[in-house]
Amino acid sequence: MHTKLLSTVVNTVNMGIIVVDTNAKILLWNQWITNHTGISEHDVIGCDLTTAFNEPVSPALIKAINNTLSYGLPTVLSNALHKSPLPLYSQLNNKNEHTLMLQSITVSYLAYQNNKTACMIQVIDASTSLKREKMLRSHSESLKREAITDSLTGIYNRRFFDDHFKLSIHNAIRHKQCMSVFLIDIDYFKQYNDNYGHLLGDKTLKAVALALKQQLARASDMIARYGGEEFVMIFPNFCYEQSVHFTERLIKAVYDLAIPHDLAPPHYRVTISIGTCSGLPSQNEDILDLADAALYEAKQQGRNRSVCKNLDETSTLCQN
Amino acid sequence: MILTDLQLDALAEVFNIGAGKAAASISEIVNDEVQLSVPSIEFKPSCLINADALTLNANKFGTVRQDFHGIFDATALLMFSENSALEIVREMMNSNLSLDELAEFEQDAMCEIGNIIINACLATMADMLSMRLDCSLPSYSIISSNEIVTEITHNTVQEYTLLLNVIFTSVKRQTEGRLVLLLTSASIANLIQRIDQFLAGI
Repeated sequence: MHTKLLSTVVNTVNMGIIVVDTNAKILLWNQWITNHTGISEHDVIGCDLTTAFNEPVSPALIKAINNTLSYGLPTVLSNALHKSPLPLYSQLNNKNEHTLMLQSITVSYLAYQNNKTACMIQVIDASTSLKREKMLRSHSESLKREAITDSLTGIYNRRFFDDHFKLSIHNAIRHKQCMSVFLIDIDYFKQYNDNYGHLLGDKTLKAVALALKQQLARASDMIARYGGEEFVMIFPNFCYEQSVHFTERLIKAVYDLAIPHDLAPPHYRVTISIGTCSGLPSQNEDILDLADAALYEAKQQGRNRSVCKNLDETSTLCQN
Repeated sequence: MILTDLQLDALAEVFNIGAGKAAASISEIVNDEVQLSVPSIEFKPSCLINADALTLNANKFGTVRQDFHGIFDATALLMFSENSALEIVREMMNSNLSLDELAEFEQDAMCEIGNIIINACLATMADMLSMRLDCSLPSYSIISSNEIVTEITHNTVQEYTLLLNVIFTSVKRQTEGRLVLLLTSASIANLIQRIDQFLAGI
């Protein structure tokens, strides 16, 4: 009665159980394994484990079984390092690489009556937990993306800039390479918002962000929304002369958008002012303060222009 | 109870052979060269274990635990600082995720790696000292250094501790961990006897 009950349990349990003797010959093969191989216990009892399946068994599992039988120590095969050690399928009628079941396997040593020993292989279907993990991970990736993106303009936000800036300074110092920082501000933006309303203000911010972003040519270059109507760009390995030319392109790109702005003389369209600082930075991050000072100068000098500072020569070039 | 230098040397050699076997197994699994060594071994009453030497100044440990029974009653704890443990796994899995994001199934990988190291060391010891070991399945947990120090120094059953430094070297990094064996005095007596038989047989 008891044996029958145990046998029923073994064949009902929702996991695979295979028991092999000290010569790796199969002693037990439960219904779950049959369900996922299409091979019945009757056909494999007494067979070698490696030949019981019509496909190969992973060498890592064979080694684990040998170790367990030799030393009596249990072994685990995690799904992270072994996807599918046994040729088991989730859907038997559709055997292909995609239906090969992801497994977590435990190999245990069994000592039973009269000093007999054997090895039990327990198999758990890891697909569901992996699917759940994948879902959680993609969720976490999208949250991470959101956390560093400015929701209005779709470019990076201040939080991302702060981290990226420190890293860029560090890299520039380490590789002894110059870098350029651009601070960009939309001219008379408060007046624009007051005159045209916040909805149009937001639309303009988006358009300017996009126009600026389109000027970026290298994967290493970064643009972020610095605050309100201010943007920041960091270009590694980009020297003073290059930055002077580049600011011209930025100013033209925004000017060419031709967004009307009745309160912005003399062009009466949306324009930007830029302050840049280029050169080999020092640890105290003054390159950003100098770019900010340059932006202030550009505003003072009449807007729609850039002021470029060179860290190496502390020279300043103004252009409009 | 003490172990002489000769006995400790013999044990260190046994564990180094085990570590070599574990390294070969892990290298095979991850398809990349991994080296393992046990440069030092220390034997002390559990209550006298130096907390700093044990905890490597880390706050949290990824710990793989297995219990052994038979003529040798012991608890084996393989400890890497939490960050090192997860970095090892991340490297093994070629993962670019941040440490916070390493998921449960990736921690299973650490359980497997720990299991390989503990099994290889203990199996080599059993083999060379002609012992038979019964052993529980490995479990992986993250525990604080306080918890681990308290567990070891307040252990009144397993009064002795074998503390081994484990150096795990992969292509990218070298990581130091601890393999702790907590033993009852009866197990130590058996162990000493087996080591002496082994030494006499050389």
